[in-house]
Amino acid sequence: MPPLAGQRAPGSADTEASLIARAQGGDVSAFERLSSAYADRLFMLLLRLLGDRSEAEDVAQEVMLRAWRGIGGFRGNSSYFTWLYRIAVNEANRALEKSARRPPGTPIGADELQLPASAADDPARQAENNELRQALARALAELPPPLRTAIVLRDVEGFSTQEAAEIAGVGQAAFKSRLHQARLRVRAAIGDEVLVTSGG
Amino acid sequence: MPGSIDDHRWSQQHLSHYVEGELPQRDRRRLDRHARDCADCWRGLRAMRALVYAVQGLDGLAGVRAPATIFDRVRLAAAGGSPSSPNA
Repeated sequence: MPPLAGQRAPGSADTEASLIARAQGGDVSAFERLSSAYADRLFMLLLRLLGDRSEAEDVAQEVMLRAWRGIGGFRGNSSYFTWLYRIAVNEANRALEKSARRPPGTPIGADELQLPASAADDPARQAENNELRQALARALAELPPPLRTAIVLRDVEGFSTQEAAEIAGVGQAAFKSRLHQARLRVRAAIGDEVLVTSGG
Repeated sequence: MPGSIDDHRWSQQHLSHYVEGELPQRDRRRLDRHARDCADCWRGLRAMRALVYAVQGLDGLAGVRAPATIFDRVRLAAAGGSPSSPNA
Protein backbone atom coordinates (compact mmCIF):
# COMPACT_ATOMS: atom_id res chain seq x y z
CA MET A 1 0.00 0.00 0.00
CA PRO A 2 1.72 3.22 -1.08
CA PRO A 3 1.85 6.34 1.03
CA LEU A 4 -0.99 8.69 0.28
CA ALA A 5 -0.21 12.15 1.53
CA GLY A 6 -2.53 14.24 -0.55
CA GLN A 7 -4.27 11.18 -1.98
CA ARG A 8 -8.03 11.21 -2.36
CA ALA A 9 -8.20 14.98 -2.20
CA PRO A 10 -11.61 15.90 -0.85
CA GLY A 11 -13.42 16.81 -4.03
CA SER A 12 -12.66 19.04 -6.93
CA ALA A 13 -14.72 22.06 -5.94
CA ASP A 14 -13.04 22.49 -2.59
CA THR A 15 -9.33 22.27 -2.18
CA GLU A 16 -7.93 20.76 0.97
CA ALA A 17 -6.61 24.18 1.96
CA SER A 18 -10.06 25.78 1.68
CA LEU A 19 -11.64 22.97 3.70
CA ILE A 20 -9.01 23.40 6.39
CA ALA A 21 -9.68 27.13 6.50
CA ARG A 22 -13.43 26.57 6.77
CA ALA A 23 -12.98 23.91 9.45
CA GLN A 24 -10.75 26.27 11.38
CA GLY A 25 -13.59 28.75 11.21
CA GLY A 26 -15.92 26.25 12.88
CA ASP A 27 -17.53 24.60 9.81
CA VAL A 28 -18.07 21.03 10.95
CA SER A 29 -19.24 19.80 7.54
CA ALA A 30 -16.00 21.05 6.00
CA PHE A 31 -14.08 19.21 8.70
CA GLU A 32 -15.98 15.99 7.95
CA ARG A 33 -15.35 16.32 4.23
CA LEU A 34 -11.72 17.01 4.80
CA SER A 35 -11.18 14.13 7.21
CA SER A 36 -13.43 11.53 5.64
CA ALA A 37 -11.01 11.31 2.73
CA TYR A 38 -8.54 9.68 5.11
CA ALA A 39 -10.96 7.90 7.44
CA ASP A 40 -10.71 4.40 5.95
CA ARG A 41 -6.95 4.30 5.99
CA LEU A 42 -6.80 5.82 9.44
CA PHE A 43 -9.19 3.16 10.71
CA MET A 44 -7.03 0.41 9.18
CA LEU A 45 -4.01 1.83 10.97
CA LEU A 46 -5.89 1.76 14.28
CA LEU A 47 -6.97 -1.81 13.67
CA ARG A 48 -3.37 -2.81 13.08
CA LEU A 49 -2.08 -0.97 16.13
CA LEU A 50 -4.85 -1.99 18.50
CA GLY A 51 -5.78 -5.39 17.14
CA ASP A 52 -9.38 -5.03 18.24
CA ARG A 53 -12.22 -3.69 16.14
CA SER A 54 -14.42 -2.24 18.87
CA GLU A 55 -11.46 -0.50 20.48
CA ALA A 56 -10.37 0.81 17.08
CA GLU A 57 -13.87 2.21 16.52
CA ASP A 58 -13.80 3.96 19.87
CA VAL A 59 -10.33 5.39 19.33
CA ALA A 60 -11.23 6.48 15.78
CA GLN A 61 -14.01 8.66 17.17
CA GLU A 62 -11.61 10.10 19.73
CA VAL A 63 -9.04 10.83 17.02
CA MET A 64 -11.58 12.80 15.01
CA LEU A 65 -12.74 14.68 18.10
CA ARG A 66 -9.16 15.64 18.97
CA ALA A 67 -8.51 16.67 15.40
CA TRP A 68 -11.64 18.83 15.39
CA ARG A 69 -10.65 20.46 18.67
CA GLY A 70 -7.10 20.94 17.53
CA ILE A 71 -7.54 22.06 13.96
CA GLY A 72 -7.47 25.68 14.99
CA GLY A 73 -3.81 25.16 15.82
CA PHE A 74 -2.97 23.35 12.57
CA ARG A 75 -0.41 25.51 10.81
CA GLY A 76 0.30 23.36 7.78
CA ASN A 77 3.87 22.54 8.76
CA SER A 78 3.08 18.99 7.75
CA SER A 79 0.31 17.71 5.50
CA TYR A 80 -3.12 17.43 7.06
CA PHE A 81 -2.94 13.68 6.56
CA THR A 82 0.35 13.39 8.45
CA TRP A 83 -1.03 15.57 11.24
CA LEU A 84 -4.16 13.41 11.50
CA TYR A 85 -2.15 10.19 11.46
CA ARG A 86 0.08 11.49 14.24
CA ILE A 87 -2.99 12.08 16.40
CA ALA A 88 -4.11 8.52 15.61
CA VAL A 89 -0.77 7.01 16.65
CA ASN A 90 -0.78 9.03 19.88
CA GLU A 91 -4.34 8.01 20.69
CA ALA A 92 -3.66 4.36 19.93
CA ASN A 93 -0.64 4.35 22.23
CA ARG A 94 -2.62 6.19 24.88
CA ALA A 95 -5.37 3.58 24.66
CA LEU A 96 -2.86 0.76 24.99
CA GLU A 97 -1.25 2.39 28.01
CA LYS A 98 -4.61 3.14 29.58
CA SER A 99 -5.70 -0.44 29.36
CA ALA A 100 -2.26 -1.47 30.65
CA ARG A 101 -2.16 -4.44 28.41
CA ARG A 102 -1.03 -5.52 25.04
CA PRO A 103 -3.56 -6.05 22.28
CA PRO A 104 -5.94 -8.90 22.94
CA GLY A 105 -5.53 -12.43 21.76
CA THR A 106 -6.82 -11.75 18.28
CA PRO A 107 -3.82 -9.83 17.06
CA ILE A 108 -3.98 -7.37 14.21
CA GLY A 109 -6.73 -9.08 12.29
CA ALA A 110 -4.88 -12.38 12.09
CA ASP A 111 -7.73 -14.03 10.25
CA GLU A 112 -7.99 -11.24 7.73
CA LEU A 113 -4.37 -10.72 6.81
CA GLN A 114 -3.12 -12.30 3.63
CA LEU A 115 0.33 -12.72 2.21
CA PRO A 116 0.75 -12.03 -1.50
CA ALA A 117 -0.59 -15.05 -3.32
CA SER A 118 0.90 -16.45 -6.43
CA ALA A 119 -1.08 -18.37 -8.99
CA ALA A 120 1.71 -20.89 -8.88
CA ASP A 121 1.28 -21.45 -5.16
CA ASP A 122 0.32 -25.01 -4.48
CA PRO A 123 -1.84 -25.98 -1.47
CA ALA A 124 1.21 -26.89 0.61
CA ARG A 125 2.75 -23.51 -0.12
CA GLN A 126 -0.49 -21.75 0.73
CA ALA A 127 -0.65 -23.62 4.02
CA GLU A 128 2.90 -22.47 4.81
CA ASN A 129 1.93 -18.89 4.00
CA ASN A 130 -1.11 -19.23 6.21
CA GLU A 131 1.04 -20.33 9.11
CA LEU A 132 3.53 -17.57 8.43
CA ARG A 133 0.93 -14.79 8.40
CA GLN A 134 -0.50 -16.04 11.68
CA ALA A 135 2.97 -16.17 13.20
CA LEU A 136 3.65 -12.65 11.91
CA ALA A 137 0.41 -11.34 13.33
CA ARG A 138 1.20 -12.87 16.72
CA ALA A 139 4.74 -11.52 16.69
CA LEU A 140 3.59 -8.01 15.77
CA ALA A 141 0.99 -8.05 18.53
CA GLU A 142 3.66 -8.97 21.06
CA LEU A 143 5.78 -5.92 20.26
CA PRO A 144 5.74 -2.93 22.62
CA PRO A 145 3.60 -0.15 21.09
CA PRO A 146 6.49 2.08 19.88
CA LEU A 147 8.11 -0.82 18.05
CA ARG A 148 4.81 -2.02 16.63
CA THR A 149 4.06 1.50 15.45
CA ALA A 150 7.43 1.64 13.65
CA ILE A 151 7.03 -1.62 11.75
CA VAL A 152 3.37 -1.00 10.91
CA LEU A 153 4.04 2.50 9.55
CA ARG A 154 7.15 1.56 7.57
CA ASP A 155 6.62 -2.00 6.40
CA VAL A 156 2.86 -2.53 6.42
CA GLU A 157 1.64 0.98 5.57
CA GLY A 158 4.58 1.67 3.30
CA PHE A 159 5.49 5.17 4.46
CA SER A 160 8.98 6.45 3.82
CA THR A 161 11.25 6.57 6.83
CA GLN A 162 10.89 10.35 6.92
CA GLU A 163 7.09 10.28 6.81
CA ALA A 164 6.84 7.42 9.30
CA ALA A 165 9.18 9.16 11.75
CA GLU A 166 7.14 12.33 11.48
CA ILE A 167 3.91 10.47 12.17
CA ALA A 168 5.47 8.58 15.07
CA GLY A 169 6.67 11.90 16.46
CA VAL A 170 10.36 10.96 16.71
CA GLY A 171 13.51 11.82 14.81
CA GLN A 172 14.60 9.66 11.91
CA ALA A 173 17.52 8.13 13.81
CA ALA A 174 15.28 7.10 16.69
CA PHE A 175 12.71 5.77 14.27
CA LYS A 176 15.28 3.64 12.42
CA SER A 177 16.45 2.23 15.72
CA ARG A 178 12.89 1.29 16.66
CA LEU A 179 12.30 -0.26 13.26
CA HIS A 180 15.49 -2.29 13.53
CA GLN A 181 14.55 -3.51 17.01
CA ALA A 182 11.06 -4.39 15.84
CA ARG A 183 12.34 -6.40 12.89
CA LEU A 184 14.88 -8.20 15.06
CA ARG A 185 12.19 -9.21 17.54
CA VAL A 186 9.78 -10.40 14.88
CA ARG A 187 12.59 -12.25 13.13
CA ALA A 188 13.56 -13.95 16.40
CA ALA A 189 9.94 -14.86 17.12
CA ILE A 190 9.43 -16.50 13.75
CA GLY A 191 12.84 -17.96 13.13
CA ASP A 192 15.27 -17.54 10.24
CA GLU A 193 14.57 -20.98 8.85
CA VAL A 194 10.86 -20.29 8.41
CA LEU A 195 11.50 -16.84 6.94
CA VAL A 196 14.17 -17.94 4.51
CA THR A 197 12.04 -20.87 3.34
CA SER A 198 9.02 -18.60 2.86
CA GLY A 199 11.12 -16.10 1.00
CA GLY A 200 12.05 -18.70 -1.56
CA MET B 1 32.71 -16.63 11.90
CA PRO B 2 35.30 -15.12 9.60
CA GLY B 3 36.51 -11.56 9.94
CA SER B 4 36.70 -9.62 13.14
CA ILE B 5 34.23 -9.80 15.98
CA ASP B 6 33.70 -6.09 15.42
CA ASP B 7 32.71 -6.67 11.80
CA HIS B 8 30.29 -9.39 12.82
CA ARG B 9 28.67 -7.40 15.59
CA TRP B 10 28.45 -4.34 13.36
CA SER B 11 26.92 -6.34 10.53
CA GLN B 12 24.31 -7.86 12.79
CA GLN B 13 23.35 -4.39 13.97
CA HIS B 14 22.97 -3.07 10.44
CA LEU B 15 21.02 -5.82 8.67
CA SER B 16 17.82 -3.79 8.81
CA HIS B 17 19.54 -0.67 7.47
CA TYR B 18 21.10 -2.73 4.69
CA VAL B 19 17.72 -4.06 3.63
CA GLU B 20 16.36 -0.51 3.73
CA GLY B 21 19.04 0.47 1.25
CA GLU B 22 20.11 3.21 3.63
CA LEU B 23 23.71 2.24 4.20
CA PRO B 24 26.34 4.38 2.54
CA GLN B 25 28.21 2.58 -0.21
CA ARG B 26 31.27 2.03 1.96
CA ASP B 27 29.25 0.45 4.78
CA ARG B 28 27.30 -1.62 2.30
CA ARG B 29 30.55 -3.04 0.93
CA ARG B 30 31.75 -3.75 4.46
CA LEU B 31 28.64 -5.78 5.21
CA ASP B 32 28.78 -7.50 1.80
CA ARG B 33 32.39 -8.52 2.40
CA HIS B 34 31.63 -9.90 5.83
CA ALA B 35 28.42 -11.70 4.86
CA ARG B 36 30.10 -13.43 1.94
CA ASP B 37 32.10 -15.49 4.39
CA CYS B 38 29.82 -15.48 7.42
CA ALA B 39 26.97 -17.97 7.21
CA ASP B 40 25.25 -16.37 10.18
CA CYS B 41 25.10 -12.91 8.64
CA TRP B 42 24.30 -14.28 5.18
CA ARG B 43 21.31 -16.12 6.63
CA GLY B 44 20.42 -13.02 8.64
CA LEU B 45 20.32 -10.91 5.51
CA ARG B 46 18.10 -13.37 3.69
CA ALA B 47 15.81 -13.67 6.71
CA MET B 48 15.55 -9.90 7.09
CA ARG B 49 14.66 -9.49 3.42
CA ALA B 50 12.06 -12.24 3.67
CA LEU B 51 10.63 -10.69 6.81
CA VAL B 52 10.19 -7.27 5.24
CA TYR B 53 8.60 -8.86 2.17
CA ALA B 54 6.21 -10.89 4.30
CA VAL B 55 5.21 -7.96 6.50
CA GLN B 56 4.68 -5.78 3.42
CA GLY B 57 2.27 -8.43 2.24
CA LEU B 58 0.05 -8.12 5.30
CA ASP B 59 -2.45 -6.01 3.40
CA GLY B 60 -5.57 -8.06 3.91
CA LEU B 61 -7.25 -5.16 5.66
CA ALA B 62 -7.23 -3.17 2.44
CA GLY B 63 -11.01 -3.36 1.99
CA VAL B 64 -11.85 -2.28 5.52
CA ARG B 65 -14.05 0.81 5.80
CA ALA B 66 -14.18 3.28 8.64
CA PRO B 67 -17.29 2.96 10.80
CA ALA B 68 -20.18 5.30 10.06
CA THR B 69 -19.98 6.53 13.65
CA ILE B 70 -16.51 8.00 13.23
CA PHE B 71 -17.72 11.63 13.38
CA ASP B 72 -20.35 11.13 16.10
CA ARG B 73 -18.32 12.80 18.85
CA VAL B 74 -17.35 15.66 16.57
CA ARG B 75 -21.01 16.31 15.75
CA LEU B 76 -21.94 16.20 19.43
CA ALA B 77 -19.17 18.62 20.33
CA ALA B 78 -20.08 20.96 17.49
CA ALA B 79 -23.80 20.87 18.33
CA GLY B 80 -23.16 21.51 21.99
CA GLY B 81 -21.14 24.62 21.34
CA SER B 82 -18.24 22.99 23.09
CA PRO B 83 -15.87 25.49 24.72
CA SER B 84 -13.08 23.67 22.96
CA SER B 85 -14.39 24.47 19.52
CA PRO B 86 -11.81 25.19 16.81
CA ASN B 87 -12.05 28.90 17.40
CA ALA B 88 -11.36 28.60 21.09
